[in-house]
Amino acid sequence: MTSIYFLTLRQLSGRWRLLIIAAVAALPPLVAALPPRPSDGPAVAEFELVVLSVLLAGAVAPLVVLAIAAPALGNEIEDRTLANLALSPLPRWRIVVPKLLAVITIAGLFITMSAFVTAWFAFLGDAMAVGAVTVAALVGVALYASVFLWLGLVSSRAIGLGLLYVVVWEGFLSGYVSGVQLLSIRHYTVAVMHALDSRRFATADFVSPELTAAVVLIVFGGFFLLTVRRLRRMEVP
Amino acid sequence: MNTTVMPAAPPPAAPHGTTAVPAPVIRVDNVSRWYGSVVAVSDISFDVGPGITGLLGPNGAGKTTLLRMMTGLAATSTGTVTMFGEPVRDNPPLYRRIGVMAEHETVYEFMKGREFVRMMAQLRGVLRLNEAVDRAIGLVDLADAQHRPIGTYSRGMRQRMRLAATLVHDPEVLVLDEPLNGADPRQRVHFRHLLERLAAEGKTIVLSSHILEEVEQVADSVLLIVNGKLAASGGFRAIRAALDQRPYHVRIVSDAPRRLAAVIVGLASVDAVNVDPDGAIVVLSRNVSDLQIELPRLAQAAGIGLRRVEPLDDSLESVFGYLVER
Repeated sequence: MTSIYFLTLRQLSGRWRLLIIAAVAALPPLVAALPPRPSDGPAVAEFELVVLSVLLAGAVAPLVVLAIAAPALGNEIEDRTLANLALSPLPRWRIVVPKLLAVITIAGLFITMSAFVTAWFAFLGDAMAVGAVTVAALVGVALYASVFLWLGLVSSRAIGLGLLYVVVWEGFLSGYVSGVQLLSIRHYTVAVMHALDSRRFATADFVSPELTAAVVLIVFGGFFLLTVRRLRRMEVP
Repeated sequence: MNTTVMPAAPPPAAPHGTTAVPAPVIRVDNVSRWYGSVVAVSDISFDVGPGITGLLGPNGAGKTTLLRMMTGLAATSTGTVTMFGEPVRDNPPLYRRIGVMAEHETVYEFMKGREFVRMMAQLRGVLRLNEAVDRAIGLVDLADAQHRPIGTYSRGMRQRMRLAATLVHDPEVLVLDEPLNGADPRQRVHFRHLLERLAAEGKTIVLSSHILEEVEQVADSVLLIVNGKLAASGGFRAIRAALDQRPYHVRIVSDAPRRLAAVIVGLASVDAVNVDPDGAIVVLSRNVSDLQIELPRLAQAAGIGLRRVEPLDDSLESVFGYLVER
């Protein structure tokens, strides 16, 4: 599995891709660094909604993960190198796991750094809050990675479809329709943050930690299994 | 109409407990594949045993689709493909015993040649990695270039490094789709010797090509695919003999077409002669080699100058077409 992991890291580490991702990931810390810094209750709630939920969890994280995850298998189909992996005697999950880990490694590096610095500026070094935001961001990356890796395998228009999903579902509908929130990765990413630091993020009314954990596992595991299933059944070019 | 020059009927698998007939390594049984209303492969059955089997056919005949089904990369619409008695589709462990070189250049350009072969060996669970990689790269004679990025290779070198990656786990079955694309004549000779050596070791090799001569030199038996159907199968000589019975059209431009027509119409190798309005004559012959010998002699004796002699239908496509339509 390590050979596929390192292969994927190399495939996805193109200079331009990383530069663009770095620029996008730098947005939340830039916004957080702007004065005034929130220090009281209402300001935290406002900051949480605008920067952590809408910008970081609902836009930057999914866009960065989309740029990494969709090509992880999609490019292998396009340039027909997927046959190299498909013709190996490995069970298909042993192809998907290192691909997924490589995506989480690269995207996670940018997004957790972005989350860490953003929270550091916003909460003036409050370790618990910073830790909660950083871990929640990593959970969000894992969820988006699982979804977009599958999308890259099932559609040659994964980037376009992914963008549509991010803008319409995560960006628009989940912000206005309460029912959609229950099917929104952004929502559960923020819910993880709440679960990890209820002291700082107790102002909003969120789903329980138990439900959050269950949904995270179901979404991540479900899309992982769908990817494995697709790889087993698809026509490899 | 599907014409089989030599029977493609598989030898029956040996009943359990007997040693009568060895089971075929690859069995393709009533396999069809269609994409919407387009039939790519139509009800093909054959067996492949150890040795080199050439898969021949014009471009677009269905060879690659058939090979993809034989290697499990694509599903059959109907029928089954088995290797060593096991289904190839969705059966990853079988790939320990199979080496597949696809038609397309499935390489990672950023990798060095040796890295690529080594990674393929790791994916296939090879234990003595360095030893296996050295051996595979040595087989294709690319040791000098192994530390260069594949992106800097010529097309022929890429093909050879891909072949090394295909051979690195020492598979019992090799499926090679147009492996000589981009190879120069020296590389072709080297490749031929390599295949012969592997076949002598008892490996089962399926070699696809649209170049008749390429396969003729190495294959013990051939499968001719035309329009998705098995047009002929069996020993190469038998198929060539069958092809030789086909009347060829030869166009001859001369100083005196009518006189030449009168002279050559009596030849045993000539079935018919037509004089075209443009002054050329078109000869229908079942024995072109005899015609090649007799024509200059007769023309010289009659004092007729030959300006041009050209076959009109010796392309592989027309030969295959003949086999299908016969």
